[in-house]
Amino acid sequence: MSRRIAIVEDEPAIRENYADALRRIGYDVTAFGTRDSALAAFRTRLPDLAVVDLGLGDDPDAGFALCRELRSLSPALPILILSARDADVDIVSGLRVGADDYLTKDASLPHLAARIAALFRRAELSTSPASAEDVIERGPLALDVKRMTARWRGKPVDLTLTEFWMVNALARHPGHVKDRDALMREANTVVDDGTITSHVKRIRRKFQAIDPAFDRIATVYGMGYRWAAD
Amino acid sequence: MTRLGIRAQLLLVLTVFLALPWLGVEYARELERVLRDAQDRTLAGTAQAVAIALHDRPRLFDAPVRLVAPTGQPPQDLVDAAAARPVLSAGAAVAAPELEQILQGLTRTTARIRIVDRDLGVLAHAGSLKRAPADAASALSWLDPILALFLARPTEEFVDDDGSGSAPAHREIVAALDGIPATGRRTTDDARAVVVAAAHPIWVGDRVRGAVLVEETTNAVLAERNRAFERLFAIVVAILLVGSAALTLYATWLSARIRRLARDAEGAIDRDGRVRGPLPGSDAKDEIGDLARSYSGVLARLAGYASYREQLASRLAHELRTPLAVVRSSLDNLRASPPPDEPRPYLDRAQQGLDRLAAILARMTEAARLEEALDDAERERFDLADVVAGCVEGYRVAYPQRPFALSAPAERLPVDGAPEIVAQMLDKLVENAVDFATGGTIEVALAREGDRVRLTVSNEGPPLPDGDAEHLFEPLVSRRPQEGRTPHLGLGLAIVRIVATRHRGEARADNRADGRGVVVTVVLPLAAAE
Repeated sequence: MSRRIAIVEDEPAIRENYADALRRIGYDVTAFGTRDSALAAFRTRLPDLAVVDLGLGDDPDAGFALCRELRSLSPALPILILSARDADVDIVSGLRVGADDYLTKDASLPHLAARIAALFRRAELSTSPASAEDVIERGPLALDVKRMTARWRGKPVDLTLTEFWMVNALARHPGHVKDRDALMREANTVVDDGTITSHVKRIRRKFQAIDPAFDRIATVYGMGYRWAAD
Repeated sequence: MTRLGIRAQLLLVLTVFLALPWLGVEYARELERVLRDAQDRTLAGTAQAVAIALHDRPRLFDAPVRLVAPTGQPPQDLVDAAAARPVLSAGAAVAAPELEQILQGLTRTTARIRIVDRDLGVLAHAGSLKRAPADAASALSWLDPILALFLARPTEEFVDDDGSGSAPAHREIVAALDGIPATGRRTTDDARAVVVAAAHPIWVGDRVRGAVLVEETTNAVLAERNRAFERLFAIVVAILLVGSAALTLYATWLSARIRRLARDAEGAIDRDGRVRGPLPGSDAKDEIGDLARSYSGVLARLAGYASYREQLASRLAHELRTPLAVVRSSLDNLRASPPPDEPRPYLDRAQQGLDRLAAILARMTEAARLEEALDDAERERFDLADVVAGCVEGYRVAYPQRPFALSAPAERLPVDGAPEIVAQMLDKLVENAVDFATGGTIEVALAREGDRVRLTVSNEGPPLPDGDAEHLFEPLVSRRPQEGRTPHLGLGLAIVRIVATRHRGEARADNRADGRGVVVTVVLPLAAAE
């Protein structure tokens, strides 16, 4: 049975393009143009994953509201936010209402597909027991590459998919500098330097929320970032 | 061109009022003329009165016992002439007994009267030209030296014949002896006084047998004139001084207001062209208030335009994202569906065009995102030397075709701010330097200057056009030849300035001292020592 994806996007051309691309991969896609039509359908039957555009119609917050509603209907459903806006505040707000990841609209379809696949994988594996072989340990850091989760000093760190990929890229080779291009490749995204900086900042803050003394991600100015070895 | 402030202009205009003292002098002179005419007429009247009293007295002239012969020495009796008593010849005393009374009255004035016969012999004599010494010094005698410039002061120290000799044959006597009453005036021999003389013929029948000569100095008139002028002068000077003082104060206040307006106007815009607020003083109810208000209006419009321009780039970018996404997702779909080989090159080219569009978009939003990042960046203390050194290493890898030289002091250079954003700023500086370099090394230098640090990036290449240095920092200004694959939007230096300013520093561009290139300097305050 193919997985069901719901796309909520008000721009018809984009909506249809995304839907076609995902169908070609093999997903069962339902596309909605408005928040209300999507919600009505969700109340009847939930999809397996939702891709939501933040700027639905005239209301700039329709997407946020939809996310919140959807999250309240299902705490585990993977939600991916799309938006033309790439301002930090929108990313943060989107993630705060419960989305799992954030992507700008000018991302390529392969990047979108990679994310969706990973989100599905993560969702599936979250219910099955963790296997020790999947975990990479770097000091207090434990990365479960299959389930795409991270733990710091035993406590789970709530990273988005993009953030997980970045931490993974850094921590796999501690002490090596990863430049921005490398990080972007690993995170299946193409963004400008400022966005990378914001992602890294957010990652640091999430770790620091658990452990205020966290300083393992070092900025190497002019080169990139590095996971500090023990 | 020398600068002439408002107060100086006002004082120039006030010189018009220097006409006032001149007016005063003219007034005094006019007064003098009037008084002189009066004096002439009085003297003529006196002469006439005395002559009338002596009309038709032949015996007056028949007994030629004169006081003084035409060419004789004065007798002793004439000493009395200086005193109050008139002196008459015997004949005159007999012929006209009342003459002595008449003359007596007249000696109380300052006139001198002589009665002469046809041979200019003196028959009677009374009075003196000189009068009592001048009045007590007026309260305004301190003005005397000034007034002496304009007006003669009367003096009783003059030398004139005391009338004891025979009457000199002045014009008026000659005329009177011809039967025509006349007046005239002469200056004394030592030129220190002016004497007015009136002569009236004395008729006996229808023949003129003699004349009455009345003489007086003009000193009384002059004294009166001077007194009037003194008063007038004092008033005029007082008015001028008070008026000038008042006007100068007013001009000072006015010029202070205007200067304050100029200062406020300068300060109303900060260096990035952001308007700080309306001008104070915009509620004054006169032309200066109007000026302040209209300038505030201009500033508000300017601010509106500036913010419109600032947001233009990011709003445009925002609008472009959606169509960009449409094209990209369509292209992606085209690639994914198994396409025949023919359209593949077109797909590739479309993709490249799209990538360039996306790059432009990214640049357009860079400045706005930078401001945002600066807004919520956490300030931390970092070592600028460290950051710069690290970056330069990166540039050596990123731009292998250009040698980089870094010179920095051995010490730490702590700065408060956002290090990654400062690194971004350095990226822009180096990008610029590399793009414009025509050869040689890119020199990056750090130097400590007191409590600030100077960062310079210098390249060999074409110099800056004159007067252009400031403009380069404005957004969307680019001097780059448009040959690159990605059109340059002229935002690099604008970003440099934004970052520098937000770190409480400054940025400037200059031609190198050796004239062979350009050096961009950023000065930042060092963090206060702990």
